Amino acid sequence: MRRKTKVRIAGAGLVMLMMTAIALGGCGGGVSGTLTLSGSTTLQPIAQEAAEQFMEKNPDANVTVQGGGSSVGITQVIEGSVNIGNSSRELKDEEQGKGLVDHKVALDVIVLIANPGVGVSTLTPDQVKGIFTGSIDNWNKVGGGDETITVVIRDSASGTREMFDEKALGQTKDKPVTMAKGAIEANSNGVMRQKVASTKGAVGYISYGYLDKSVEALDYDGVPGNLETALGGTYPLSRYLHMFTNGEATGIAKAYIDFVLSPDFQNETVAKEYIPMTKVKSQ
Amino acid sequence: MGRQGVIGREWIVKKTLFVLAIMGILGIVLIIVAVTKESMPALTKVGPFNLFSTEWNPKVGKYGIVVFIVGTLLTTVGGVMVAVPLAIGTALFLTEIAPRRMATLVSRGVELLAGMPSIVIGWMGFTILVPLLAKLTRTTGSGILAASIILGIMSMPIITSIARDALETVPSSYKQASIGLGATRWQTIWHVILPAAKPGLLVAVILGIGRAIGETVAVALVIGPASAFPKSLTTPTHTLTTKILMEMGESSGIQRSVLFAMALVLLLLSMALILTVRLVTRKKAYVR
Amino acid sequence: MKDTTIESPRMSLEVERVAAEHETKSKKQNNIATIVVWSLAMLELSTVGVVIVVILWRGLGTALSPAFIFGEPQAMKAGGGIWPMIVSSFYLAALTIIVVLPVGVGAAIYMSEFAKEGLITRAVRFAADSLSTVPSIVYGIFGMMLFVVYFGFGYSLIAGALTLTFLNLPTVMRTSEEALRAVPDSYREASMGLGASRWQTVKAVILPCAVPGITTGAILTIGRIVGESAAIIYTVGIYVKKIPTSPLSPAAPMSAHIWHMYTEGALVPDWLRVASGEAAFLLLVVMALNILARIVSWLYKRKTRTSERFA
Repeated sequence: MRRKTKVRIAGAGLVMLMMTAIALGGCGGGVSGTLTLSGSTTLQPIAQEAAEQFMEKNPDANVTVQGGGSSVGITQVIEGSVNIGNSSRELKDEEQGKGLVDHKVALDVIVLIANPGVGVSTLTPDQVKGIFTGSIDNWNKVGGGDETITVVIRDSASGTREMFDEKALGQTKDKPVTMAKGAIEANSNGVMRQKVASTKGAVGYISYGYLDKSVEALDYDGVPGNLETALGGTYPLSRYLHMFTNGEATGIAKAYIDFVLSPDFQNETVAKEYIPMTKVKSQ
Repeated sequence: MGRQGVIGREWIVKKTLFVLAIMGILGIVLIIVAVTKESMPALTKVGPFNLFSTEWNPKVGKYGIVVFIVGTLLTTVGGVMVAVPLAIGTALFLTEIAPRRMATLVSRGVELLAGMPSIVIGWMGFTILVPLLAKLTRTTGSGILAASIILGIMSMPIITSIARDALETVPSSYKQASIGLGATRWQTIWHVILPAAKPGLLVAVILGIGRAIGETVAVALVIGPASAFPKSLTTPTHTLTTKILMEMGESSGIQRSVLFAMALVLLLLSMALILTVRLVTRKKAYVR
Repeated sequence: MKDTTIESPRMSLEVERVAAEHETKSKKQNNIATIVVWSLAMLELSTVGVVIVVILWRGLGTALSPAFIFGEPQAMKAGGGIWPMIVSSFYLAALTIIVVLPVGVGAAIYMSEFAKEGLITRAVRFAADSLSTVPSIVYGIFGMMLFVVYFGFGYSLIAGALTLTFLNLPTVMRTSEEALRAVPDSYREASMGLGASRWQTVKAVILPCAVPGITTGAILTIGRIVGESAAIIYTVGIYVKKIPTSPLSPAAPMSAHIWHMYTEGALVPDWLRVASGEAAFLLLVVMALNILARIVSWLYKRKTRTSERFA
């Protein structure tokens, strides 16, 4: 008897779980429909923030933001399994010509950083090249104290890395650069900052938004990397963040991207960490 | 309900259960096929000479994965070296030496450790172990040594529990005979119990190796990482699992396929371990 | 008989002395070995203690504050909570269990009650062993390819649950089969002797007896799901702001969100606090599940002892 009751309770529990799942499954799309984004984890917080505000203004819209990384976003938008693919990098060769339309949604400034106490506050472009390719291995060769340089770079799939290799290290398709031997690879801005902050003599680069007191920002060619200098054109290390649609954006996708690019959202949310497109255009 | 109905239903139930039973077979086949299919571009277009080289630089088409294989092997060996003495010692303690209450306490602890999320152990490594090693060795602190300690902690429970089972299956008549001949407890353990339990202990170690090879997130927090051979035990390097974890999200095309090829290597390694266990034990039952 | 006379008293004394020496030596060896084994075991036990103490010391203060537990995560400023992550973990575990439990228990019933030992059973066990050795990151990218991209579920609870079904199937199968096999054969004989068919026997007698064992296995599986990270980072997602609303919603279970806080989530100034607090909370959940499983199996043991007495 007791056994039977237990079986029934277990069964009832299962049924309840299933019903919850089914009830949860019944999400409704309103007149404005549903929209799914995936891709870059760098862009995800902003896209998510935009989604919340967008849904508040359009109660019938249902916007879902997934992560996964830029490549996943681009693959999925090409395949049509999501409406918008977020990317923190440009399209690769094999992704060109598949009908993707680029919407630049923010400009990201990349700042050189070093472990506090290296005794250097600015680096010339040649010094940066030397350090990151391994020909300069001690801070005393660039005016600092006697400390071995530990190079921290982004992983080989990163959009930030791609930009940095091209703009700071002069990499082209025909002339690849080789990184310093044993360079630490960070797979995100957070890890990059943490590695540079905790490793003596470390040097690296991060998005401006991640800059804090744990690391020392270095000037590049005498120019500090910040929103103003990048806008003014004197600081070259920056890259765009993209939202890709398959063909021209229409319907809810267009409404969402328009919202992301609206002056209100750009100036109030995007501007906290990146250069808003409103300023880039007015330049 | 008639007799016929019962038999008919019985047949349906049996077939349904059979289908459920072979889901596992379908699962492993599906995984092997899927991972192989995804790694085909890497295997055919990149080729074995490029893949099994030491330089990783996708920008120029160098997809050498040897650094990561070496990283996996070194961290695994290190992890097992940390875990085996502790685990076998604990298993001996539990089966031969411990007072009952103490045995209960220790085996609860081991069970708890077995269920510990890898991100939690990794977080301990990241917040305490790496800074400590950095201070002691005056380096970054992350690398093979930190990963070995973390992997040691993580493979300890499985080695302990399987070693314990192995020691428990040694017939007690062996032990009584040895003690009866005047041998001490340690002589009995060393000359009788351990040799008798050898195949089982070997299985324990092999499954510990399997655990260490596959661990991902905990290692990722303490390994460095860097796509280069480690110069010392505390310089950053990479393993197969950590490389896949960190680059899968942002890579595409051939690079993505190479990451799947690395997963294929992991898959083959783990299958090889299971086959070895089967050969060692010649058992038809589950090995873990 | 003459041989014994050769042995002089001095000689026999010498033998005794050597023997005694040998004995003290083995005793000493025995004592040292005992100490070594004790310390190895204590070292392993203290590892568990160290992990718990470190994690709780770092994060317990945060983990126990209601504002943190029930708060909304923040991506741009400090003060974020983890409520959607807790719910994500719960939904993911529930969804996975719904799928994996029937499959695993069904397979176990077939293996223990219906199958004849042979090629099929050997293949099933080999497959189960292989599945449980496959690294979880391999499951992760397999699930990403198959469920997220190929089936088009996107990063979602369901994609993660299906991936975790494969990952946990061997454990559920094994624990359930053990529970079923632990039911004495006399029960089967008695039931079938009364004219019940095999399935009726399983349904009415064997399965009810095995429920506690299966439940224990299921609880431990929930613990594994909640603690899993490599297999869900690329199938479920690592960051959400709101509670997921359907199986097709992306979610961010705690373990994956800690990874997010370590990587891109470190944009917020208090990322270390959030991640440490979340790790502590996750540890508490896993420990609670462990204790729950222990209680269930204790109740089970007590019950079998009683039923044996009356049998």
